[in-house]
Amino acid sequence: MSHHYVKFDHVSYTYPNGFKALDDVSLLITHGEKVAVIGANGAGKSTLMLHTNGLLTASEGRVVIGDIPVTRKTLPQIRRTVGLVFQNPDDQLFMPTVADDVAFGPINMKLPDDEVERRVTMALKAVGAYELKDRPGYQLSGGQKRSAAIATVLSMEPDILVMDEPSSNLDPHARRLLIRQIEEFSHTCIITTHDLAMVRELCPRTIVMAVGRIAADGPTADILADTALLDRASLL
Amino acid sequence: MTAIERALYELNEIDGYAAGQSFMHSLDPRSKALVTTLYIIAVLSFRLDSLSGILFMWIFPILFSALGGISYNRVFLKSLYVLPLILFIGMFNPVMNREPMLQAGSITVSRGWVEFISIVLRGLLAVQASLILVMTTGFQKICYGLERIGMPAIFTTQLLMVYRYLSVLLQEAASMDNARRSRGYGKRSYSPRLWGIFIGQLLIRTVARAERIHRAMLSRGFDGTVALRTRLHWTMTDTLFLIISTALFTATRLTDFSYLFNMIISRQ
Repeated sequence: MSHHYVKFDHVSYTYPNGFKALDDVSLLITHGEKVAVIGANGAGKSTLMLHTNGLLTASEGRVVIGDIPVTRKTLPQIRRTVGLVFQNPDDQLFMPTVADDVAFGPINMKLPDDEVERRVTMALKAVGAYELKDRPGYQLSGGQKRSAAIATVLSMEPDILVMDEPSSNLDPHARRLLIRQIEEFSHTCIITTHDLAMVRELCPRTIVMAVGRIAADGPTADILADTALLDRASLL
Repeated sequence: MTAIERALYELNEIDGYAAGQSFMHSLDPRSKALVTTLYIIAVLSFRLDSLSGILFMWIFPILFSALGGISYNRVFLKSLYVLPLILFIGMFNPVMNREPMLQAGSITVSRGWVEFISIVLRGLLAVQASLILVMTTGFQKICYGLERIGMPAIFTTQLLMVYRYLSVLLQEAASMDNARRSRGYGKRSYSPRLWGIFIGQLLIRTVARAERIHRAMLSRGFDGTVALRTRLHWTMTDTLFLIISTALFTATRLTDFSYLFNMIISRQ
């Protein structure tokens, strides 16, 4: 499984309005790592995250997931490998019921019915949301929505899990549950967040982003101890 | 509770009904959709001035809501939401068609007024039938059933998305309305300018959300078709339900109720 790495090779990305969100970003995340990407609003965290799944493609440079470069042709493989959990669960829970949402990915992967059902059950049990399976997504609480959103990705059995601001809008109990769920995910995990306490608890490695560039990359303990760095990155 | 919040509550209530257990709930969505369509066709096929037949068709929404374990009062009250639209459709008939049709003592009722009542009844009955279908099936199963009957997937996908995000849109509208009211110093109505801003903001939020949802769908392998895991099971009960309902609608449609009423009255 060591080939499930994430590699950004001099990646730049400019939005159609001219805003340069990523500027010559290079990084390598190896299999099994739990990495936090922190930075102020507009630092480029979400843009970076969207590149891992091929939802945005680099204006310059290239992104490689495992041995596969992210291109239009490789998107189905990339999306099977990289599971993306979005910041707002309401964007992720678009199907009539939670179970339909969790089944959405496996059905698109053309898996047989019994395998789809197995994955739905497995993913919902993994996040403790099995009893919610027949509920419409919009009727859930914030924490339940977050758990269901994670299940929608786990059902695809991704090798790499990428989460955008997973602890935002969660109460302390739901946040604690989320941390446990992420701890149990044994593959590569990339988390973009402002929640430095969660970073300290979950991720041995942290990448700091500022104005589309990588300002620092190293052990979390060192990064979070560097108050001057955090201040420069508008994180204090 | 504001009007928007009430609408949200109503939407949730309909979903709650769909989760019930009854004879109607146990039927395949396709059989219910077909029966509902046939019922609406039967109601609409009566002549505009044929009130007695349309009145007799009223029995079916009452029967079906009882079979679905739903209070008919709820169905009736919900159907009144579309009354303004129906009234608007029929409001010109009494003006345009003044030919005398009925004589009740010294009061002459024109054909236009009979047609107006007929339009209102047809509209209400059609809406009630549709409501019973949604309340005993759930919107997603109806869409899935319609797709299996032959409706193009692009339409059912659109319907599903509209239904799914109606509540989110209402929540956003309610939040914006609360924000407006909290700084409105007791002013209850919106000025035309504020309406424009409100709707424009809502549209921008909707487009932004649609973009994010599309990304979420793409990230999970969406290729243009939304496949549901719902599996439909057509049973003998569905066949019987379809046959019996069709027979009853046809019999009702072909019966000359005005003749029957006259016979009963003349015997008395």
